Amino acid sequence: MNPCSVPAPQQDSEGDGRWNSIHNRFLSDAKGKDADVIFIGDSILQALEHTEVWNQWFAPLHCLNFSIHKDQTQNVLWRIKNGELDHVDPKVIVVHVGTNNVDYTPEQVCEGILEIITTIREKHPSAYIVLPSLLPRGQHPNALREKNSKINQLLREKVLNMNKVEMVSIDKGFIQTDGTISHHDMHDYLTPTNAACRKAFEPIYDLLQQLLSEGEPEKDLTPSE
Amino acid sequence: MKMVLSQRQREELNKAIADYLGSNGYTDALEAFKKEAEMSGEMDRKFGGLLEKKWTSVIRLQKKVMELESKLAEAQKEFIEGAPTRAKRTPAEWIPRPPEKFCLTGHRATITKVIFHPVFSLMVSSSEDATIKVWEFESGEYERTLKGHTDSVQDIAFDQHGKLLVSCSADMSIKLWDFNQTFECVKTMHGHDHNVSSVAFSPSGDIVYSASRDKTIKAWEVATGYCIKTYKGHREWVRMVRVSADGSLLASCSNDQTVRIWNADTNECKMELREHEHVVECVAWAPEAAAAAVNEAAGGDNRRANHVGPFLASGSRDKSVKIWDVSTGQCLATLAGHDNWVRGLAWHPGGRYLLTASDDKTLRVWDVAHTRCLKTLYAHHHFATSLDFHRSLPYVISGSVDQTVKVWECR
Repeated sequence: MNPCSVPAPQQDSEGDGRWNSIHNRFLSDAKGKDADVIFIGDSILQALEHTEVWNQWFAPLHCLNFSIHKDQTQNVLWRIKNGELDHVDPKVIVVHVGTNNVDYTPEQVCEGILEIITTIREKHPSAYIVLPSLLPRGQHPNALREKNSKINQLLREKVLNMNKVEMVSIDKGFIQTDGTISHHDMHDYLTPTNAACRKAFEPIYDLLQQLLSEGEPEKDLTPSE
Repeated sequence: MKMVLSQRQREELNKAIADYLGSNGYTDALEAFKKEAEMSGEMDRKFGGLLEKKWTSVIRLQKKVMELESKLAEAQKEFIEGAPTRAKRTPAEWIPRPPEKFCLTGHRATITKVIFHPVFSLMVSSSEDATIKVWEFESGEYERTLKGHTDSVQDIAFDQHGKLLVSCSADMSIKLWDFNQTFECVKTMHGHDHNVSSVAFSPSGDIVYSASRDKTIKAWEVATGYCIKTYKGHREWVRMVRVSADGSLLASCSNDQTVRIWNADTNECKMELREHEHVVECVAWAPEAAAAAVNEAAGGDNRRANHVGPFLASGSRDKSVKIWDVSTGQCLATLAGHDNWVRGLAWHPGGRYLLTASDDKTLRVWDVAHTRCLKTLYAHHHFATSLDFHRSLPYVISGSVDQTVKVWECR
């Protein structure tokens, strides 16, 4: 059995029960707030919620962010199976998870993500699923960086022909010419800063705008003279 | 319109197309294109993703241009027409003008509703932080906090004389608060099976109406706290309930995209108004003074219509506001202009204007007779959720997801 695709709660290694508290808060948020877009995933998306970019771009689109620091694919899967997407009717669901599955092979992680997509699809047959690619990590080239890019490559092949599933590359421009990642982009060489979120999530923002305005009458975009 | 490209632009466009074909694996097309366009050699890296970039940035720039143009138009109008001075303003025409007089902070979460006290110079705000706060709006001073609910307070309302305040909450309860002396909770009423989203007093003050996510509206006797009637018919979450001036009718709106009119005494649904294309967030009965303006809006060219009303305005997530003749069920006018969900409505006491609050962060003043937006106030940093117009003094208040309450003076 592949541990990445078997739903499991995050280990409460610190003993303060925070993960469960957050999950319960998400459950109650889901019930009251009628979001059009839901972000669900790990530290990367959680960091996004505390940036200017979030307030400027994503909050006006009626978004909810169900992301938890350090979550792995099996944890997100557990949260979805335990109700976080049950009382909502979003048009788009953005999923980013996998970079924390450090103990598993790219194939296993990719399978975990695909299991998440299948589970979401069962609950929301007509929602768009948007997959930002996994970001590179570590100041210098390392095995995990290579693994993330391998996961991206595998996943891209798998979702290519899926209906209403879009994978978007957000990892461009983080690795500098000497192979390092700057602390201006990722202060801990893992989570993107405000400036980096602006670079990384701009394509996601563009795509969301297009998906959300589908079906609305097209505006005449010719500049007036 | 025919667009002309320069030689250099055409070459760039060709290269961008070639890059697009190449990077998406359209190899045959690429080869054919390269041959026809007489391109040779390696691709320059600067054309990578260029076509996609241009494709998306046009939309983004255009949006920005439209935003700037409307802001400029607003500024020019303010500059040319100016605003009357405080001495010259008249109660029928005054409208709120920027900047705000006070920006009040203290709530720890989204503001859900703001209302004026009908007699004293007090205003009250409710919040998702489960509290209700009382403020003095002429001085901007904080007065007190009412605590008792255990979850988001969704709506608040005063009785005719401002002696009782009613509040409702996601904790499924409705509370009555004494505003005469003690400012304490005097009664708690349970009965809804879900989040209570809205409350209103009957004009006589003996009955409180409530709307809930359990799809029902209920009537409660204030003296005893008993639920005396239940109004069933909405197919989903009931967002708001408001009582007509004579107390005979209730207007409600819902996630089922309809507005319903109920006979308050018999709990019969008299009418279903369906024209909105998304959740209807709010409704507001028009004051009698609005009849002339509404008829002018409904009449068209130089002719005035003869609707007798009563009239009702509704605001929706479809970004529009509609004005209805409740005696016939006709939609008389649609106000379009907001860029996002419409969340709050308040009629100008003079009847000529309607004010709205929206998730596009603005407050707008609509000239009802001409069905156009007269003024846009860039009011908050986040969604504007609610607003109220003072019955007789030149003040408007607004609340937002940015956790602030703002007081606007009218001129």
